[in-house]
Amino acid sequence: MGMLNLVLSNISRKPATRLYPFEIREPFKEFKGRIVFNPENCILCGICQKKCPPDAISVTKADKTWELNLFRCIMCTECVNGCPKGCLSISNERPKTGAKETVKVVVPIVDKPKADSPKAASSKAASSK
Amino acid sequence: MTTIIPFGPQHPVLPEPVSLKLELDNDVVVGVLPSLGYVHRGLEKFIDTKDYNQTTYICERICGICSALHGITYTKSVEKLFNAEVPERAEYIRVIVGELNRVHSHLLWLGLFADGFGFESLFYECWKYRESVLDVLERITGNRVIHSISKVGGVSRDLTKEHIDMILKMLDTLEPQIKDIEKVFVNNYTVKKRTVGLATMSKQLAYEAGTAGPTLRGSGNAIDVRETEDWDIYRDLGFKTVVEKDGDCYSRTKVRVKELYESIKLIRNAISKLPNGEITTPIKGFPTGEAIMRTEQPRGEVVYYVKGNGTKNLERLKIRTPTFANIPSLLLTLPGVKLADVPIVVLTIDPCISCTER
Repeated sequence: MGMLNLVLSNISRKPATRLYPFEIREPFKEFKGRIVFNPENCILCGICQKKCPPDAISVTKADKTWELNLFRCIMCTECVNGCPKGCLSISNERPKTGAKETVKVVVPIVDKPKADSPKAASSKAASSK
Repeated sequence: MTTIIPFGPQHPVLPEPVSLKLELDNDVVVGVLPSLGYVHRGLEKFIDTKDYNQTTYICERICGICSALHGITYTKSVEKLFNAEVPERAEYIRVIVGELNRVHSHLLWLGLFADGFGFESLFYECWKYRESVLDVLERITGNRVIHSISKVGGVSRDLTKEHIDMILKMLDTLEPQIKDIEKVFVNNYTVKKRTVGLATMSKQLAYEAGTAGPTLRGSGNAIDVRETEDWDIYRDLGFKTVVEKDGDCYSRTKVRVKELYESIKLIRNAISKLPNGEITTPIKGFPTGEAIMRTEQPRGEVVYYVKGNGTKNLERLKIRTPTFANIPSLLLTLPGVKLADVPIVVLTIDPCISCTER
């Protein structure tokens, strides 16, 4: 009898599911969508690389690059909590479908001469799609 | 003359691959031979390459449904190695997330069970209600399935006032919804016809076969690690073990439905007693010695054994999961059951094969 009531009440109710590509739920503000890297303060210490459980981050001191493999990242946020300079943060936007596998950022080290064109690197880097 | 019929590894009622070779006399089962190993990933060995903090994330990935409790059990066992005192607020947050995890797992199982005997609309109802629990978990922890809430020394995220209001509001709407589906599972003629008296296991047999969780409690054994293990917090929260006497599929279902109410009560009590303060305590150095930690997962008791040798990697991690303990009960209950009822009996132990094989 209980089931009959459920069925009857469900007839007048709107569907519990969404019509996905046309109706997209906004991500919650607490959602761990993707890692955002701000290279301005980065000192290439490599702590994020050491802490990363799936080895998704690789920091190369010689080339001054910071690289994140989006396909390996498990959004555990160990790197965000471990970064001594606060360069890493979480965004609640998820990476777009068809995103590139890796995000590579050239880090402008402050006390070096501005040979690596820091402007271009920093603006492009953070908004990795 | 008997016939051998393979049940699995791919079967409509099985979410994960397990193979049972059923020996049939006409359509009555007379013998069962299980075979495991389809999703073995070697995670216990894999920890050799990761340090003890990173291992938390491996342990959470053992199972997608009880992930929070795997992480919590592992971190608690490592904290035992360090003799670390975890802040009380962190313990309460662990209990809240762990019990929300249990609510969503039991709702998932009830849905799958309904689907197992062909009650599609009930399956949809259960999973519809489960969605609100998942949304709450996503907002608390940031992830929908693998919550990553527990870390060695505390928890990774704090509960805000907004989160607490949201959890309480969700529980207030969820409770009447569970009452609705409880009526169907307990009183419905079709459900009773398929489950009452099926695959009965006596109290003694369930205990001797070493079963765990709702399979054990459905046979009248009042054994729940939340009450027996020295995890004081559950005693403060007024936890009571749910027991059903009959030992058939119907009573195992009833245990799970009643545990939903018990979990909701625990979450409410934990929120009302939630202390203020820190959520992590710093832990330095490398673990040495051995420790065992037991907690109650949705499917039963999980045992973690960890051994440290003074380096950053653990020397040994051994996990005994509830489904591993429950599979032998299938060999005892399936003989005498008709082939059409086999899926229901297999589902009532809530098989989680990824847990079992790691």
